[in-house]
Amino acid sequence: MTMLASLPQFPWLSLLVLLPLGGALLCLLHSGRAAECRALALATSLAVFGVALYLFVCHGQGEGRWLLYEDSAWISRYGIRYVLAMDGIALLMVLLTAFMQLAAILLAWKVERQVASFFALLLLLESGLMGIFLAYDLVFFYLFWEVALIPMFFLISIWGGVNRRRAALKFFLYTLVGSFFMLVAMIALYQIHGGQTGVYTFVIGELLQTRLTATQEGWLFAGFLAAFIVKSPLVPFHTWLTDALTEAPAAGSLDLTGLLLKTGIYGLIRVAFPLFPNATANFLPILGVLALVGLFHAAWSAYHQDDIKRLLAYSSISHLGLVVLGLAAWQLTAWEGSILLMVTHGITTGALFILVALIRERTATRSMQELGGLWGQVPCLAFFFLLFSLASLGLPGLANFAGEILVLLGTFQDHPVWAVVALLGVVFAAAYMLRLIQGVIWGPAAKERSLPDLTPREWLMLLPMALLVVWLGLYPEPFLAPLHGTVATLLAGGLP
Amino acid sequence: MSLLDLLALLPILILAFGGTAILMAGAWYREPRPLLAGGVATALIAAVAAGMVQPPTAEIAGLFSAGGYARFFTILWALLAAAGLMVAARYIMEKGLGAGEYVSLVLYAAAGMALLSSAIHLLGFFLALETFTLAFYILIASNRRCALAAEAGLKYLLMGAVATGFMAFGIALIYAVSGTLALPDAARLTTTAGELLPWGLLGWGMVLIAVGFKISLAPFHLWTPDVYQGAPAPVGGLLATGSKGAVVAALVGLLAMSGPVWHDLTDLLWLLAALTMLAGSLGALGQKNLKRLLAYSSVTHMGTLLVGLLCQSSEGLAATTFYVVVYVLTSLGAFAVIASLADERGEPMAFDEWRGLGHRHPVRCAVLVLVLLSLAGLPGTAGFMAKFAVFQAALQSGYLGLVLVGVFASVVSFAFYLRVTMLLFQSEEPASPRHAGTASEHAVLAACTAAILVFGLFPGILFDLISRILP
Repeated sequence: MTMLASLPQFPWLSLLVLLPLGGALLCLLHSGRAAECRALALATSLAVFGVALYLFVCHGQGEGRWLLYEDSAWISRYGIRYVLAMDGIALLMVLLTAFMQLAAILLAWKVERQVASFFALLLLLESGLMGIFLAYDLVFFYLFWEVALIPMFFLISIWGGVNRRRAALKFFLYTLVGSFFMLVAMIALYQIHGGQTGVYTFVIGELLQTRLTATQEGWLFAGFLAAFIVKSPLVPFHTWLTDALTEAPAAGSLDLTGLLLKTGIYGLIRVAFPLFPNATANFLPILGVLALVGLFHAAWSAYHQDDIKRLLAYSSISHLGLVVLGLAAWQLTAWEGSILLMVTHGITTGALFILVALIRERTATRSMQELGGLWGQVPCLAFFFLLFSLASLGLPGLANFAGEILVLLGTFQDHPVWAVVALLGVVFAAAYMLRLIQGVIWGPAAKERSLPDLTPREWLMLLPMALLVVWLGLYPEPFLAPLHGTVATLLAGGLP
Repeated sequence: MSLLDLLALLPILILAFGGTAILMAGAWYREPRPLLAGGVATALIAAVAAGMVQPPTAEIAGLFSAGGYARFFTILWALLAAAGLMVAARYIMEKGLGAGEYVSLVLYAAAGMALLSSAIHLLGFFLALETFTLAFYILIASNRRCALAAEAGLKYLLMGAVATGFMAFGIALIYAVSGTLALPDAARLTTTAGELLPWGLLGWGMVLIAVGFKISLAPFHLWTPDVYQGAPAPVGGLLATGSKGAVVAALVGLLAMSGPVWHDLTDLLWLLAALTMLAGSLGALGQKNLKRLLAYSSVTHMGTLLVGLLCQSSEGLAATTFYVVVYVLTSLGAFAVIASLADERGEPMAFDEWRGLGHRHPVRCAVLVLVLLSLAGLPGTAGFMAKFAVFQAALQSGYLGLVLVGVFASVVSFAFYLRVTMLLFQSEEPASPRHAGTASEHAVLAACTAAILVFGLFPGILFDLISRILP
């Protein structure tokens, strides 16, 4: 680690974090000139995507724990350091973030009100997300964890639907309560570590070596868990998500479901599990059961929704239940499946949220009762809707299937009962997704209307996603390759 | 008092004599601008004097310290006075108040606060406290035509009188037990074998009650919302920041000098801190007026400060000092935004007046959002580092319960601060534009914003300074 840090290298990771921040500031400086803001936002996110892609291609394969590592002093009084570290999982998440952000910017193209602020907030959110995925110092991590909330809060509360204020406040406070527990646990861990070694530090890599009694470990783990479980969100802490997703503006929902939800699970993988291995081992069975309950509860709820956005919100919770189940299985294949599923779920559900927004723009409704028959009215849009719905329910050959099958296979090895139950849940997913397809694109049209089909901008959003969905379904290996080493290390306790 | 003492007292003398000179000038010369400029210049010169002139003695007549800690706060209060005058300029001119009186009172108040923060003697403590309280009685009610302000002034006067009574009686009791009023000794001599003597306990308890009134600890905080609401924002800004900060700074100085004195009072203080944090944050939830909300928020902050004081470790004292500085700069920003938006309709206070204002005045409303988020403790802002430092120290001293109460209060705080930020950017009906603000107001806001961000991202600068000056 120190070797890597001492090598003079270009600070790519800082660039990933700071580039969107700079773009956000530029947008604010150009407030009032909407066209320039759009161009600026697009250029920034393209640049970020370029950097992410470069890192994936050129730094995707590496020896050792970290592909890239940046470390410099920050607040020396409390041993807080500016540490950004990228391993295989972080690399995938960074890539996903950069990709989804492009789609979000394109989706937000038609925002009319306060354009500069909207794009600035989207970019700020991207910066926060990059920070969450890369920071490797607890306080630094916490900084991004909280900072990412603010843009999302404003996106929902200013540009959201009818109940936006309530939803925004609920979203913020739920996640805040969780993260405050994490803050207290963080400081406690810092003091225990400092007391033992005399070195007061918040760098996760060094805190891994802290010796904790079982009670200490349990409580501290619970503190971190509070933050991550609420964010994931596991049932019964999920109620904020359905409201937030339903009320958020289209680009906000896209980022929320595609990226922000992943931060909770990512926190578990990167922070909570490695720091508290024994408590984790004790907790895994509970986590597995919670995941299964969530999977079924959310699938059941999804089946009974009429609002298609709400249906997708529940389907997200259900999918993330499967992701968490894979983690709870604590097994190489299952973990790789979980992480892959995180990525593919981000893309498929993200694309579905885009489509819902496009349908809403055209028909001014999200209710299945008033929809239907879109196949005849907007064939291209309906085709994409069908494709992503099928991908979402796990059709073989499309993106989610690869992740799901890996999770189920891996889980089956040690926990066959979980795997069988989860399989039923996947069938359930097919039920509500088919209902969605039936309600939206098939059947007789609820109303006779002439709707415009996809515009070039919309093609530009959806086509790359569709290609990626097919690619990930048929040949996910390039995306799994960077994971092998990282996952193996993490399963072995997180130490290099 | 020797000449050397006078030299050590130079910054205070500049404030006091400068204030008097401006007061007298104001009697003949009614043009407000030069008087205000003179006031700002006096405050800045005092700050420079405090920073540059090496004090020849360590203490002044046994009443006040002239050490680095005292000097640090002298600078802070002098700068605060300058900022307070810059924010008040338009208010004075529009209401046709006597600029000479106003400026001199603010300078006197700053002198009082600076003395209080350097007190090492109970008599000095008492005198300094009364000096600035007296100035505030008049400042709050400076606009006699405003009924709300007159009411606030009277309320502050009555509460202040009660507090003064407690303070004087408490000091008398301490003197009766210990035979001295010099601070480390008075604290030491009221104890035997680490336990407070009964009359000593009563004496310190009464001093504590007086302090509780001044910095509005629950249950002595009930005057705060009314006074904040009634006082004009430029005065409110000084009242919320300096008058409280100076008392806390004095307590920090006292504890740093005399070591742990509060063993017997620990339980009581624990309860006070918890109660104050809860009363402040829960009280703020129902408010529909930004100034009242800021009042309750200041109550919460005082509770958190008390947690830092309670630790009595050097870590806790450093954290408390950091917190005071940050709280002062942040709260000043909030009141400065209110003052800069005031126009002939008065200051925007009720939530209805803030609705949608963010679209009209995006920059200042963004500053207000930043200030409120810093008050709430969002990471990246100075408010977070302050809370972090206090909680860190409290956990180190084993006050897990208090930290959890503080965390709960923080969550509630976020709820009410965020409600305000949502109001600002609501867009159903366009708000009518308010005053565009003057250059001096914008300068103060810029300074506060810079401080919040710099101390939030690079707190090391301030922490290093504090650990060097703590006595």
